Amino acid sequence: MAARQRTQYATAGEKITMIPELGNFALILALCFSLIQGVSSLCAYRKNNAIYFQLGTTAILGQFGFLAFAMLCLIISFLNNDMTVMYVQEHSHQLLPFVYRVGAAWGGHEGSLLLWCLILSAWTVAFVIFGATQLPKTSSAKIVMMLGFISAGFITFLFFTSDPFRRVFPNAPIIGDDLTPILQDPGLIFHPPMLYLGYVGFAIAFAFAICALIEGKLDKAWVQACRPWVILPWSFLSCGIVLGSWWAYRELGWGGWWFWDPVENASLLPWLSATALLHALIVSEKRDVFKGWTLLLAIVTFALSLLGTFLVRSGVLVSVHAFASDPTRGLFLLCYLTVIIGGAFIFYGCRIKHFYQPPNFELFSRETFLLFNSVVMLTAVATITIGTLYPIILDALNLGKISVGEPYFNTVFLPIIIPVLLLMGFAPHVSWGQQSFIKLWKRLRFTFLACLALGFIGPWAFGFTFYWLTGLGVSFGIWIILATCQYMWQLWKSRKKIEVQHWSMIVAHLGIAVLALGITLNKSYSEERQVKMLLGETITLAGYQFTFKKMEDTNGSNYQSVTATFAVQKNNHSPQLLSAQQRIYRSHDQTLSKPGILVNVWRDLYLALGSSLPDGGWSVRIYYKPFVRWIWFGGLMLLLGGLLSLLSLQKKSRD
Amino acid sequence: MKKRFLLPLIVFTLIIAILWRGLALHPSQIPSPLLNKPAPSFQLPTLSNPKKTTSNKDFMGHITLMNVWASWCFACAEEHELLLQLAKNQGITLYGLNYKDDVLAAKKWLKEHGNPYQTVAVDETGNAAIDWGVYGTPETFIIDKKGIIRYKQIGAITPEIWEQNLKPLIQQLRNET
Repeated sequence: MAARQRTQYATAGEKITMIPELGNFALILALCFSLIQGVSSLCAYRKNNAIYFQLGTTAILGQFGFLAFAMLCLIISFLNNDMTVMYVQEHSHQLLPFVYRVGAAWGGHEGSLLLWCLILSAWTVAFVIFGATQLPKTSSAKIVMMLGFISAGFITFLFFTSDPFRRVFPNAPIIGDDLTPILQDPGLIFHPPMLYLGYVGFAIAFAFAICALIEGKLDKAWVQACRPWVILPWSFLSCGIVLGSWWAYRELGWGGWWFWDPVENASLLPWLSATALLHALIVSEKRDVFKGWTLLLAIVTFALSLLGTFLVRSGVLVSVHAFASDPTRGLFLLCYLTVIIGGAFIFYGCRIKHFYQPPNFELFSRETFLLFNSVVMLTAVATITIGTLYPIILDALNLGKISVGEPYFNTVFLPIIIPVLLLMGFAPHVSWGQQSFIKLWKRLRFTFLACLALGFIGPWAFGFTFYWLTGLGVSFGIWIILATCQYMWQLWKSRKKIEVQHWSMIVAHLGIAVLALGITLNKSYSEERQVKMLLGETITLAGYQFTFKKMEDTNGSNYQSVTATFAVQKNNHSPQLLSAQQRIYRSHDQTLSKPGILVNVWRDLYLALGSSLPDGGWSVRIYYKPFVRWIWFGGLMLLLGGLLSLLSLQKKSRD
Repeated sequence: MKKRFLLPLIVFTLIIAILWRGLALHPSQIPSPLLNKPAPSFQLPTLSNPKKTTSNKDFMGHITLMNVWASWCFACAEEHELLLQLAKNQGITLYGLNYKDDVLAAKKWLKEHGNPYQTVAVDETGNAAIDWGVYGTPETFIIDKKGIIRYKQIGAITPEIWEQNLKPLIQQLRNET
């Protein structure tokens, strides 16, 4: 039987080579290089010796090269269908389409950790090339040292507990288990690398903080050198979170785009604290205050990245993303977290007295606004962390197993985030040092009242049902837009020119406004129906008529599927076609509903097939999702804002 | 003044302590609500003879190991060797619940791999499996002499799981009257 199956799949191109061994060897070398990087940089700043500097820098290139080579080996093993490699066997299949075989390389635990290490070393290389020149040599050596040790820890973890190149000899299974069907989506190829580019990147800001703590000083040069290494990961993380939400929307078939799932929270937490860090750095640069706070935020941000990695990779929490878990992995990660972050906090407590400075600003000033931003972001971090860890806390106290869901997060998150929206409109108008509230209010009162009027009357005028919370959300969204535009206009009036740095703030803040509007309107006015439909039948939802036109068999390379086509029509406009698929992945015996989505700026029409009924009908879920595209567009504006800000920093360093 | 800066460390230590404790627990081991309750009632045709039916009353008077399996399930083949040995040596009644399967394919599969089961109930629609709270195949239940569910295993039984969990439990059940 085995022989028969082997010949059956041999046509799919199965090659067993020694490439995985090369990959394994590359991992060992990368580990050695990371240690060399750490130790020689330590010697470099201790002894201020040029040879050690050179050695440290070269080791980074070696580490990056070998990790990239290991990744390449893993991808080649996937392309070769080398089922003797356990990781390939568990995440691939001879019939898995080519692109997903590349993506599958980071579709599981081992591969995604390899990606983690690779990205960390790529960031380090980038730092050495672009960032190290702005700092004194001894400072950059400290940063490189810290990154070397962080990397060494992770490569050790990868190699000893989660080796992606482990072989199964001699009785290797013949057929792969296949990649989980929900991961077989273009989202998989871009989403994890983007997300990791984000939260692994915060390692650099962390290393910067450690460097400042060692030196006991934090000057303007430090802040200027550090800012790009917060902004860039923050931009990638924003984009990664948005990509993840887009993936969930398309793949999970429930029309939802955020589930407050532990894995999603793990990416949101560092984003929130990085947002705080971003703003705190601006204050540190411009006003020379908040230094201790900035350092704390830098440590906390990376701590949250690591905590996220721990939560996702150790399996202490069960999530819809359902990764495989192994207790030794969790233990290793926890020890790692304790050493790196615990050590950093102790060091912080000991050294912080060097950074204390009496405040030199009034209560009502831009400094206070930015401080408030930090405090709110950290409060949000705390509430989300509590919600995410709550099941573990209860379980640890033997109070039973529960899961905390959307209701908790929505209830606690909204009251925290709504004041932020209100203050975001004022923030650009508030000046450094001190600001008279009366003046500010005089300048903005008409805008503010106009927004309240628009927000509360607007939806009602368009025939939507009125809700207080929606009115508030819409008003504040419009408020940010108008207040920011007013700021733009004033800039233009006084200077006849808007600098890149202003553009970056404007675009990012408008992004948040678009995001807030999208979320509010989507949450308030979504409609859905779950119905049974026979061929030819018509159903109406939100003024759209859905007619069930036809049903046909359409098979993919590794799944069987049926495709249903619907005609969608509003009033007497010409109908549009919408097709939804129901796939059965043989290897997993799993059904996956691929929804059909009709997109435009104002709304999505989303249709997912349920199950077929004995009388030939189908159960169908139809959703009307207004303004859902705004959410992702807002996220992309954040990315753009971040990149513009980077541009302005580059311009500043050139001048 | 100085103590304030220790606050992050304290919060961090607290979180680590909780996570440490959390690691020792197994969130994926969701206890079956059916544990220590009588086996859900069912009446299903048997695989060998569709005209004959079998029901939960057949569990009375002996220790039963009920295994949910299907011919399309790869993991079932993994634990099959162990089940065959158990059927030979251990003297417990092995009962199969063939889940959402094609009858002919199931028969052929048993012929190829060997049949450890005394009786196989056929649950083509998967309705009985819903009553039993089955997540997927394979799953294994241990039912005592009074027809009460005492243990549930999600996923394949490995020799380690057998030695650590199932064997001592069966020994204990034997000693019960």
